[in-house]
Amino acid sequence: MISCGIDVGSLSGEAVVMEGRDLLGYSIVRTGHDSTSTAKEALEMVLKKTGLSQAQINYTVATGYGRVIVPFAQRNISEISCHARGANFLFPLARTILDMGGQDCKAIRCDERGRLVRFLMNDKCAAGTGRAVEVIASLLEVKLEEVGQLSLSNLQDPPKISNNCLLFAKSEILSLMREGVSVEALLAALCTSIAEKVCELLKRVGLQEKFVITGGIAKNQGVVRRIEQKLGMSALIPPEPQIIGALGAALFAQELAHGQGNPKEKVLPPAQEKLARAASDQ
Amino acid sequence: MLTLGIDVGHCSTKAVLLEDGLVMGKVIFRAAGSVEKAAMEAWEKMRELMGLLESAPPRTFVTGVGRHKGLWGDGSPTEMASHVRGTHHWLPSARTVVDLGAEGVRVSRCGKRGRLSHFLINDRCAAGTGTFLETVAQMMQLSVSEMGLLAEMGSPGVRLTSTCAVFAESEIVGYVHKGVSRQDILWAVHDSLGARVAALVQKIKPEPDLVATGGVARNKGLLKALERHLGISVVVVQEPEMMGALGAALLAADSLGEDLA
Repeated sequence: MISCGIDVGSLSGEAVVMEGRDLLGYSIVRTGHDSTSTAKEALEMVLKKTGLSQAQINYTVATGYGRVIVPFAQRNISEISCHARGANFLFPLARTILDMGGQDCKAIRCDERGRLVRFLMNDKCAAGTGRAVEVIASLLEVKLEEVGQLSLSNLQDPPKISNNCLLFAKSEILSLMREGVSVEALLAALCTSIAEKVCELLKRVGLQEKFVITGGIAKNQGVVRRIEQKLGMSALIPPEPQIIGALGAALFAQELAHGQGNPKEKVLPPAQEKLARAASDQ
Repeated sequence: MLTLGIDVGHCSTKAVLLEDGLVMGKVIFRAAGSVEKAAMEAWEKMRELMGLLESAPPRTFVTGVGRHKGLWGDGSPTEMASHVRGTHHWLPSARTVVDLGAEGVRVSRCGKRGRLSHFLINDRCAAGTGTFLETVAQMMQLSVSEMGLLAEMGSPGVRLTSTCAVFAESEIVGYVHKGVSRQDILWAVHDSLGARVAALVQKIKPEPDLVATGGVARNKGLLKALERHLGISVVVVQEPEMMGALGAALLAADSLGEDLA
């Protein structure tokens, strides 16, 4: 039985193909102008990698922001449930997951079977999401991949960024730059301020070990290290942190294809999820 | 008796010179550098304008971002107290003042004598402030006032769903790519900003007259949106950006025991 999970996010789309508990392959593509073509592109890429044809896939589950408009998916499941499921597959001891993407940040608690217990998310404010790193990196003309390393190479005391809002922080950082503060110190300040916001969210959701970080930000050592320092706890990082949502979707697809388990038990119905989301907004 | 009010803002510095409750002179300029320098420059500019011979400034109150430093001037009233005092002087029936600044929105309620009773502030988030409008103006290569005019020509069609100004930027880019007209996008921008400011104003339970001050109050598109969301009319003073400086000068006079209310 071959299943496929597709995660269409705000900045990237991922596809994972599984047979039973074997991961056959995955792909990551940049999100284009519409979700449907991003999903198709991700699927085509993973099919090419694995040498499969679309007809061989028995069941497909879509997740992420663009999940409702993936035409070839049989079902869609919220990315929160999928992240919990995917993280549990890789790290069975995981109880708290931080998923930090390009446009939001989610703190998720799950049980020993990877079922969602509780979550909090910030998708209202760009400060404290991956977008903050992107915006400041381009302001300072630093490549996104280099932000983490550069921030860790800073030896001075990083300045404190007093503005919470990313737009205000931008002008604050520009004036600090004019005062002669080094790019490394500014990146250190940025990573610290993101880590602070993330830890706030994690504390509110009730952090429990083991703790996993997924999503694009997990590739940024500057942020990860500072989160670990603030929490006094080390984080588990998947080998490819960006595909956990799609992995969870592929796992759900396996179960659904087998008809085993009641999917309703694992997935909140849309109305209920909406309420939970509303409650999680400050 | 002469008094001077200086309002050092995020964007520009304003000063008003007052003699016995009458405005003698006013200056407004974009200041670079430290707050103290901006205040000094305001006084120098005022001296030049008025042809004053004294080198030492008269009794001076400084408000705005500079007021915390307390390095310059004889008093440092809050932005809210200053705006309320200035606005009430201009329009004695004012009871609610919404100060639309570059990096913050402040809503204040005042009593019959122009004294601040309570207030609410948003200065933590760019959504709902002039900074957001300026960012959009830069994106669209327009001036902020042109943008307000264009917005009035637009019609409701698309909506901005993002709260955060940074996310809204990408939403706007998306609409541009989709071929939505500039005026319709700008209508949505002003509508969302108006809704955000209105939410803050509602919280304080506004009483008429509601007066808009601060530089952003010059944007007609925003005022229309604000009125639409509040359901009450918004009065704009003639020089909304000068109200803080005027208020500071009046408060300086008050402190000398002059009763100008």
